[in-house]
Amino acid sequence: METFAARPIPAHVPPDMVGDFSLFSSPGMQPTPNGDPQAAAAVVHQGPRIFYSPVNTRDGRGTWVITRAQDQRKVLQDPETFSSHRSIFASALGESWPMIPLELDPPDHGKFRSLLNPLLSPKRVMALESAVRERAIFLIDRIAAAGTSCHVMEDFAFPFAVNIFLRFLGLSDDRLDEFVRWANALLHGDNVQRPAAARTIIGFIDELSAERRRRPVDDFMSFLVQSKIDDRPLTDMEIRGTGVLLFIAGLDTVAAAIGFDLNYLARHMDDQQLLRSDPSRIVLAAEELLRAYPTVQMIRVATRDIDFEGAPIRRGDYVSCATMIANRDPLEFPHPERIDLAREDNRHTAFAYGPHRCLGSHLARREIVVGLEEWLKRIPPFRIKQGTAPVTFGGHVFGIENLVLDWS
Amino acid sequence: MKIIVHNDKCQGHARCWAMAPNIFELDDEGYIKPGDIDVAEADEKLAWKGAKSCPERALEIGK
Ligand code: HEM
Ligand code: SF4
Repeated sequence: METFAARPIPAHVPPDMVGDFSLFSSPGMQPTPNGDPQAAAAVVHQGPRIFYSPVNTRDGRGTWVITRAQDQRKVLQDPETFSSHRSIFASALGESWPMIPLELDPPDHGKFRSLLNPLLSPKRVMALESAVRERAIFLIDRIAAAGTSCHVMEDFAFPFAVNIFLRFLGLSDDRLDEFVRWANALLHGDNVQRPAAARTIIGFIDELSAERRRRPVDDFMSFLVQSKIDDRPLTDMEIRGTGVLLFIAGLDTVAAAIGFDLNYLARHMDDQQLLRSDPSRIVLAAEELLRAYPTVQMIRVATRDIDFEGAPIRRGDYVSCATMIANRDPLEFPHPERIDLAREDNRHTAFAYGPHRCLGSHLARREIVVGLEEWLKRIPPFRIKQGTAPVTFGGHVFGIENLVLDWS
Repeated sequence: MKIIVHNDKCQGHARCWAMAPNIFELDDEGYIKPGDIDVAEADEKLAWKGAKSCPERALEIGK
């Protein structure tokens, strides 16, 4: 991981509100064999409800850290005070267009959501289910036929999630490996790889939208170039901002969730057995695994000075709402450290709170449930392969690599 | 029993609907339809669970 010259802590931050926790550098956040970064992040609950972390973004900026679920809800439900308008993606390239809808605030945000919501609504996702299941079965049968162990991320999680996603976008998957490489470089690469990957993805989306303008077909990009907002067609920058976001949002989030879930089940044979013997429990179990192993840190920018639960937040300050932190808040979840696959009243924030609630959440849930159902149906009891160790990491988006399972 | 629906807080998580599709109806975008919900006695337990499952706390249990 890169290091940055630490920026000075702003003068308005009281020294006793500075904490030493960071999602990038604290114990368990760096690549760690057999790690559990979500559990490691829960240490913040031994501290105050809000503190200032001096280095807590990819580019070494400080953020306030909101630890309690109820406080995160307040921040995320108040986009007027806590804005998403950062143009993080574009600003890394010296440009300033927003990713849509992620980096827009209401009321513009809502217009784009209304356009996109029907495409990924719960009902629409029900119609996609058979394609999702077919893909899972194809991949898992291939793994089962090939032997008694596999690399979960490369052999299953990525090709599964990315295939479904490309199908949604209307792209064939012969370039799947290339797309996964771009997304990896963008999300987990260094200061040189990230902007390079960003430019590649922008070029790809711009080209695709130009092509669909010339010859529309029945797919997402064609829909976008023919859509209207406020009775006018979308601008080129809006099409780019939406296309780029959709391209990266679904590429590795679902795969990471499946990786963390199978990693957990490989280490907890009793829970694995429970789901095997009663697959109807998988729907509820998937929610608990989303609570325990979420992957996204959300960042907002204060639009005005505000004193928030004793913290003097000033205009322009970054405010971090990390899903893995809220999801382990003992005030919101009794015994949050306990993973209880039958947990009820599970109002976790893996897909955010507030208007930016993950647009793909219904699809993601379906993919996770179907993936686990078919995996448990087709693969005998499995463990982490002896002599191997999955590597987990924290950061802006948490992940897991080198997950090798064995059922010999 | 009545469920008081705070539409301004609904963000379309659809957890209520997943719990009880016949009690909590969604519009085409996937957000809960406006209007408070009168719950039949037989459905009370399910409606209660559905309301409790809302991450945004958009569903209030009334009398
Ligand atoms: C388990 C998998 C996933 C997780 C944990 C996840 C998580 C999240 C979170 C936490 C946000 C809020 C970000 C913020 O407010 O700053 C978000 C937004 C978003 N997600 Fe997902 N996501 C997942 C899968 C997907 C998929 C499959 C898609 C596409 C089909 C998708 C599309 C989006 C979009 C478009 C947004 C922006 C919504 C807005 O700003 O209104 N996500 N996601
Ligand atoms: S669970 Fe809450 S946010 Fe989700 S659809 Fe129902 S009312 Fe809306």
